[in-house]
Amino acid sequence: MNRLNPRIRLLWIVRALITATVLAGIAFGVGRVLAPPWLPAWTPAAVFVAFGGLGVMLAVLRYRAWRYEVREDSIYLERGVFTKVRTVVPFVRIQHVDTSRSPTERLVGLASTVVYTAGSRGADVSVPGLTPTDADDLRERLKRLAIRSEGEDAV
Amino acid sequence: MPRSLSPLSIPYRAFQRGGGIVVFLAFALSGGFSIPGVGPAGPLILLVVGLLAVVALVGFEIAYVRRFSYELGEETLDIDSGVLSRRSREIPLRRIQNVDISRNVVQRVLGIALVSFETAGGGETEAQLKFVTFEEAKRLQRELARLKREGSAEASEDGEGTEAVAGKPESTELFALDRSELAILGALSIDLRVPGILFLLVSTIGSTVVSTYLDTVPGFALAVLAAVLVLGLAFVSWVVGAAASIIEYYDFRLVRSGDELQYERGLLQRYDGSIPFDKIQTLTIADNPLKRHFGYASLYIETAGYAPGSSGGGRGSEAAIPLAKRDHVLELVEELEPVGDVDLERPPRVARRRYLVRYLLVVGVFTGIAYGANALFALPFPPWTPLLLAPLAILFAHATWRNRGHWLGDHHVVTRNGVLRRETKIVPYYRIQTIIDSRNVFQRRLGLATVTADTAGSLSLGGQDAAAVDVSSARADELREELEARLGRAVDAYRAGRAGIGFEDAYGVDSLQSEAVEIDSEDDSEGDRDDIDSASESVESREEDA
Repeated sequence: MNRLNPRIRLLWIVRALITATVLAGIAFGVGRVLAPPWLPAWTPAAVFVAFGGLGVMLAVLRYRAWRYEVREDSIYLERGVFTKVRTVVPFVRIQHVDTSRSPTERLVGLASTVVYTAGSRGADVSVPGLTPTDADDLRERLKRLAIRSEGEDAV
Repeated sequence: MPRSLSPLSIPYRAFQRGGGIVVFLAFALSGGFSIPGVGPAGPLILLVVGLLAVVALVGFEIAYVRRFSYELGEETLDIDSGVLSRRSREIPLRRIQNVDISRNVVQRVLGIALVSFETAGGGETEAQLKFVTFEEAKRLQRELARLKREGSAEASEDGEGTEAVAGKPESTELFALDRSELAILGALSIDLRVPGILFLLVSTIGSTVVSTYLDTVPGFALAVLAAVLVLGLAFVSWVVGAAASIIEYYDFRLVRSGDELQYERGLLQRYDGSIPFDKIQTLTIADNPLKRHFGYASLYIETAGYAPGSSGGGRGSEAAIPLAKRDHVLELVEELEPVGDVDLERPPRVARRRYLVRYLLVVGVFTGIAYGANALFALPFPPWTPLLLAPLAILFAHATWRNRGHWLGDHHVVTRNGVLRRETKIVPYYRIQTIIDSRNVFQRRLGLATVTADTAGSLSLGGQDAAAVDVSSARADELREELEARLGRAVDAYRAGRAGIGFEDAYGVDSLQSEAVEIDSEDDSEGDRDDIDSASESVESREEDA
């Protein structure tokens, strides 16, 4: 079972803090513009601490829950903090594989590999928190395995 | 030899597009319209401009029809089209999901039809022929089926496979909706969209009128009026719903022709579609307590294509049996996907406790709301009234548990969920795309899990896939492994040309034989891999050449 790159925690924490900052900003704006008398002055700080703290906690827990494994015939993923989800994607069902790097991911030097199937839900399964070389390797490996076990007629 | 569209489609297409111009001209010439600054010559200029537009339109349509050609080849369907920007397409026959023919009243009089070819990719119909003669449309449907059969026969050099697919396909009628079933279907159909549309009309157009009247009418009369309105609305929705479903499903027939399924339906607009057996993704048997009581059920057949003919846009291509005797539906399922005797395994009893808690919580919330409301407005009934629903919650929890289940067959996984709309889903192992096992906080507390088998089916009725809900964690682990293993075996068997859907010989084999199939298929899959490797080598060598 592989774990994600530990730096992914940093990425998730940064994202959580950005969200918390935006929410705190909204709270601050509401306090300044509407100024309801029941709203104490420390509300933006409280919002930031609450959402930021929650986000950081979730990021750590999410990192702990994430596992993935390339098996003989399928890729297996395990993730989720509140709802634990385990997904099995057989290689015969892979339609194509992507590597993507969002701006925040590039900031911490990470990349994700996304696996697409023809399924109606869970049609794309993404493995975040890989170093760019790992992501490319995983993509290449999955591609090879998918070609080797090519399904005759998936749909 | 490339073929072209029916010449009759020129006037039809021109009229379809230019109908508006003609109406406008007639209206303008009848004297309702005058152009300022032109004087008495106005109508004449208008006539000339209108005629020019009509001529241009007819010219365009003639060019369109003449420049449109299609050819059904051995392996692809080639379509060249376009007047100014040309487009040529090659669609591999193996990728075509289903072929639909639709004809409205005018098209039926002219003897022309619209043919749509569906593929799994994209969100819309892949190719449409507007329009060809009905005979030509039927010929295309037949030829396509024949070519695909021959193609697959060549692909699997297996002797048995060829035997199974060779020869002329015989047509057997699987199902026909008779008058009484149509009547029952109509009676059970209530169009819920009608109240919404009427409400919209009243609120936009009538709001000013109504509000002026409302002030003058006394309270009692208002109540009566409201009651009459509600009853009238219900009646209209019912009539509209009944009419719509009768028009849609009039003379519904489902025919098995070789390894294809063909359906016909419709009173005003006729739909005529074909679904290859090997494109069926999922079968869904749906019913509700009323239907269950009278022994009726509906059946939906899903493929991965998209069809314009199906109602409620975006539901994808599906042939549906709107209503039939339950036995009949089960017979049909057996014909399409021989599942055998299904013995559903219910979730563990602890799941029932979960439902009981869930529904009692709902009752509790209602009671809480009632108490809160009572404190504010003094309700006309005692605030504990919602508690009377508690026995109902208990019954419903039990029913939810009772109706839920899953079963693994030789070739299919079957799941059943729901009480008010109960859906039994039959998914061939071969059609599984991904397997998802999810456990939320409450489920984990009770050691339960939900295992979903995702398919490429396009029926998105609430986006429900076949799911074994609330099975025990251990069973979920087992299911995950087992589904994956069985999918692998099904793929191997399919490659060996033995167990494809639609190849009957693979079904009903006993365990000994199926073992033999497995061994064979392993050999064959090795061969396949070799083929693929050599294919990739040839690609590489070609690249080197380039």
